[in-house]
Amino acid sequence: MKKTLLGYMPDESFIYHVHPSVKVLFLLVVSLFPMFISAVEWNAALILFLIFLLVVSRVSLRIIKIYIPVAISMGTIILLSYTVLGGRHPEFSIVGSPLGVPIYWERIRDALVVYFRILPMILTMVFFLSTTREREIVAAFRAARIPFVVTYMIAMSMRAAGMVLEDFRIVRQAEQARGFDTKGKSLPYKIRKYVAYMIPLFALSLRRAEEFTNALVARGYSFRSNVKRPDYILSRYRFRWWDALACLVIMAGFAALLAARYGYGKFTLEDSIFLDWLGGRLLSGAAA
Amino acid sequence: MSETNKEDSVWTVLEGERRSVGVIHIVITALLIGIGFVVGAFGSISFPLGFGVNFFWTGIAVQQIGPIWFGGWGIIAGVIFPFFSNAIAGTPFYVSLAYIPANFVQAFLPAFAMKKLNCDPRLKKGRDYLVLFVAMVVSSAFGAIYSPLVVLKGFGLLTVESLPLFMWGWFGGNVVAGVVFNFVLLKALSGVVIKTPAFVKKWWS
Repeated sequence: MKKTLLGYMPDESFIYHVHPSVKVLFLLVVSLFPMFISAVEWNAALILFLIFLLVVSRVSLRIIKIYIPVAISMGTIILLSYTVLGGRHPEFSIVGSPLGVPIYWERIRDALVVYFRILPMILTMVFFLSTTREREIVAAFRAARIPFVVTYMIAMSMRAAGMVLEDFRIVRQAEQARGFDTKGKSLPYKIRKYVAYMIPLFALSLRRAEEFTNALVARGYSFRSNVKRPDYILSRYRFRWWDALACLVIMAGFAALLAARYGYGKFTLEDSIFLDWLGGRLLSGAAA
Repeated sequence: MSETNKEDSVWTVLEGERRSVGVIHIVITALLIGIGFVVGAFGSISFPLGFGVNFFWTGIAVQQIGPIWFGGWGIIAGVIFPFFSNAIAGTPFYVSLAYIPANFVQAFLPAFAMKKLNCDPRLKKGRDYLVLFVAMVVSSAFGAIYSPLVVLKGFGLLTVESLPLFMWGWFGGNVVAGVVFNFVLLKALSGVVIKTPAFVKKWWS
């Protein structure tokens, strides 16, 4: 198994043959797609496409489980914010009035549009995090000629996150060994006691900072940009013809989306077969 | 402010004292991003309101204390780490990107107020507490107004009617977490931090 930013992946996967720069481009450009699409079925298709990519990359779909509570909480908040908290609009069509609160079809439609915009954006991020390794971020940064000091800092911070998690576990075990237990206690108590983890975490990090610095200085590290560097990591990732093709497809896809949206008026609300169908069902139900 | 007070201040560079940017500042920035990543993601996952807004954002401690101790390096960390912690918690990339001004102000203002008003990060006087508290409230208020109003409304993610919920969520989530963590952490660790070479008296060294 290989460790990625979000979990583990099998040793064999086609995604390892994709240059890290392509993955970053995918994240940056495909995240924009849903913002230009109002028809929910197209965003649903994008969600399916991203799940398909996760499957063919051999990423365990259990990883999506982590995001189910987030997706549910966001969906609930969006729905409540658009319907219950959406205000009174006599110009809209009422589909029901539970507890005297009018629920409008237009507000449900808008909530669905927003929700189906957010889900592919989250999945694009999940795809990126679960198929990208720390060193690939470094390679992508170096390929983009981002200064060494920035690349080094980002790489070190990703390593630091792993160390902080490890430190957190150690601090927790040390406190449990001394009889500290938050089981069955109230949430405010747990929150207050979270400080007991934060102080040792900060203190450990300060000590580590000095140890790291001494190690770097002893090895003669320089963060000056005029120092010529061999960039070993880039030699591990070659930009091949399929990477160029993938970049071309991503950019062409984005250009086509913009042309269809603003040139031909596609992917709009009026274009949505699903919303037409749902609106018809809800409004006819309300009329009956 | 009397001259004696200024000379006693932890922010004053003493005569003969040489301060410069060093490797330790790069390292401390990276470590702060690492801590913020973990601590911020905890808040984002445990108490989510949605789109990176939380009822209790633990990351605020790193975002506001880091700049007080480490100046500009802490601000850099305070702006960068929410990208990672938000990403893990499922916030879209462009929403995180648009939060940068809010995160910058939240990181910058408490440090600026503490330095400008010559307050001690060891929180020795009531005035030090007051300045920090006011700076925390003002910076979080900016974040709470800017982010839901400009970012979330700009992306078409919220209705006008639901804006107050997110504004109060952002404001309360940051201020409450700030009150719980910032004072305790500053009181407990500032005495140690100001003796380390990583401590920043001006903005970069």
